[in-house]
Amino acid sequence: MNVIEINNLTKTYGKSRGIIDVSFNVEEGEVFGFIGPNGAGKSTTIRTLLSLIYPTAGSAKIFGADCIKNAPEIAKEVGYLPSEVFYYDKMKVIDVLKYSASFYKKDCSKRIEDLAEIMDLDLKKRVDDLSFGNKKKVGIVQALLHEPRLIILDEPTSGLDPLMQQKFFDLLEEENKKGATIFMSSHVLSEVQRMCTRVAIIKEGRIIKLETMSNLTENNYKKFKLEINSGIDKNHFQINGVSNLELKGNIISFLYKGNVNTILKRITEIDLKNVWIEEPSLEEIFMHYYEKEA
Amino acid sequence: MNIFLHELKSCFKSIIIWACSMAALAVMYILIFKGLGNDIAEFQSLMDSLPEVVKKLLSVYVASLSTLEGFYSFVFVYVALCGAIQAMNLGVSIISKEVREKTADFLLTKPVSRAAIMTSKIAAAFVSLVITNIIYLAVTLLATLTVKTDFSVKSVILISITLLFIQLIFMALGVIVAVLAGKVRSVIAVSLSTVFGFFIVNMFGSIIGEETVRYITPFKYFDYGYIVKNNAYEMPYIIVGAAFVIAAVTASYLVYTRKDVHAV
Repeated sequence: MNVIEINNLTKTYGKSRGIIDVSFNVEEGEVFGFIGPNGAGKSTTIRTLLSLIYPTAGSAKIFGADCIKNAPEIAKEVGYLPSEVFYYDKMKVIDVLKYSASFYKKDCSKRIEDLAEIMDLDLKKRVDDLSFGNKKKVGIVQALLHEPRLIILDEPTSGLDPLMQQKFFDLLEEENKKGATIFMSSHVLSEVQRMCTRVAIIKEGRIIKLETMSNLTENNYKKFKLEINSGIDKNHFQINGVSNLELKGNIISFLYKGNVNTILKRITEIDLKNVWIEEPSLEEIFMHYYEKEA
Repeated sequence: MNIFLHELKSCFKSIIIWACSMAALAVMYILIFKGLGNDIAEFQSLMDSLPEVVKKLLSVYVASLSTLEGFYSFVFVYVALCGAIQAMNLGVSIISKEVREKTADFLLTKPVSRAAIMTSKIAAAFVSLVITNIIYLAVTLLATLTVKTDFSVKSVILISITLLFIQLIFMALGVIVAVLAGKVRSVIAVSLSTVFGFFIVNMFGSIIGEETVRYITPFKYFDYGYIVKNNAYEMPYIIVGAAFVIAAVTASYLVYTRKDVHAV
């Protein structure tokens, strides 16, 4: 079952681009990553899903219901963590969380306590006394306190120290095991790589790639690094499937996607000192997507 | 209901402060009236001797300042001015709060429709104004009890209640301004300038004596001289005021439910 269905979603702000013709689905139980640089349209897509902004064309469905028309109904089962969190400054943390909980028709007090303990959050402080990271923790508790079926995270780890990131991801993994679907946007690729089963890559408002994480990192690409004995023409590796080609001194490196026999034949034609063949990090693949048309 | 209570709670302090300040203003004038005692006739003749323009500027509509209701109506203009500022402030701040404090992402992703949010907020603002008026009216009436001379309680009450009408109009104005404005940087700047704008139009309108000006500024919807004389309101202006409130609130709903809420 698809938890999120996005069909040809377009949002323009006057003449400036927001997102263009975005379509993809997120299945139930998935951890779905949404990656792209700043200004690519990640937040625009997420804000449309949450009916904070209205699409210019196309539509999106959550739990099979239109995300604009049925927004209040859908919101009952959605937890959202914005990239920058703001709460009513003069309220205490516990009051903000209680206010948040009062929108859902269930008792969340136990859950608030549990989450606050895991995230090491002081409930008695006033919001304006909190640091950025601690506000983020309030956001996390606020997003999870009603045990939503869909968790939407926009740049979730900004402001959290590594220990808290770890705890947060453990928390998300637990929710995911219990059946929650997670949709997260990020430009921190390592966290996407770690958490997600599938990713969509967005660039300049368009989805340019939709792939499972394993395909993206394992099957398709190999990272080659060769140390050569004698000088070489860079063009030797200018063949189909090669990207990010770089020549530094007598080290040549590139990413390769395609039949490994072809590339190995090429490699054997030259005099090698050393060779490394690795799985590329998502970062490298990602940069490759962006640089291709730049 | 939770939004309503939340909003009411967050503006409770300001309700008390405004209501008490306005009541204090009224009480002060009532005590002055009392203090003047028999000298009130002289005060009346002093006011009568003022040039016509100054009289109009000071909104001395009433032939008789020597009665409590007459004197009260003369000073009430300034209470109404304060009340208008409070109401407009409330209307602007309650609606623009989510944008100013950047809490829109929090509130608008909760399982509640935007129309319901709007309803709760307007209801909270309305109740705030009603509470303000109850406090104001109670304190003012209590103060009039100390005055020994005869006066029309009904007139005093009728005049006092115009505060609520004027406040509702300015609240509705504040709401629509906040909905239409992308981001309100300073609530008090917006409300002060608007209210004083109308107040100045009101003063010049008095000098010119132009009838059409009366429809432009809510301060002119209630002619206190008329109220004192007839113990009644002028219906056409009540209708214009009510129509404005309904139109502004309806428009606010329409815009608010269709508006894009952008990231901070």
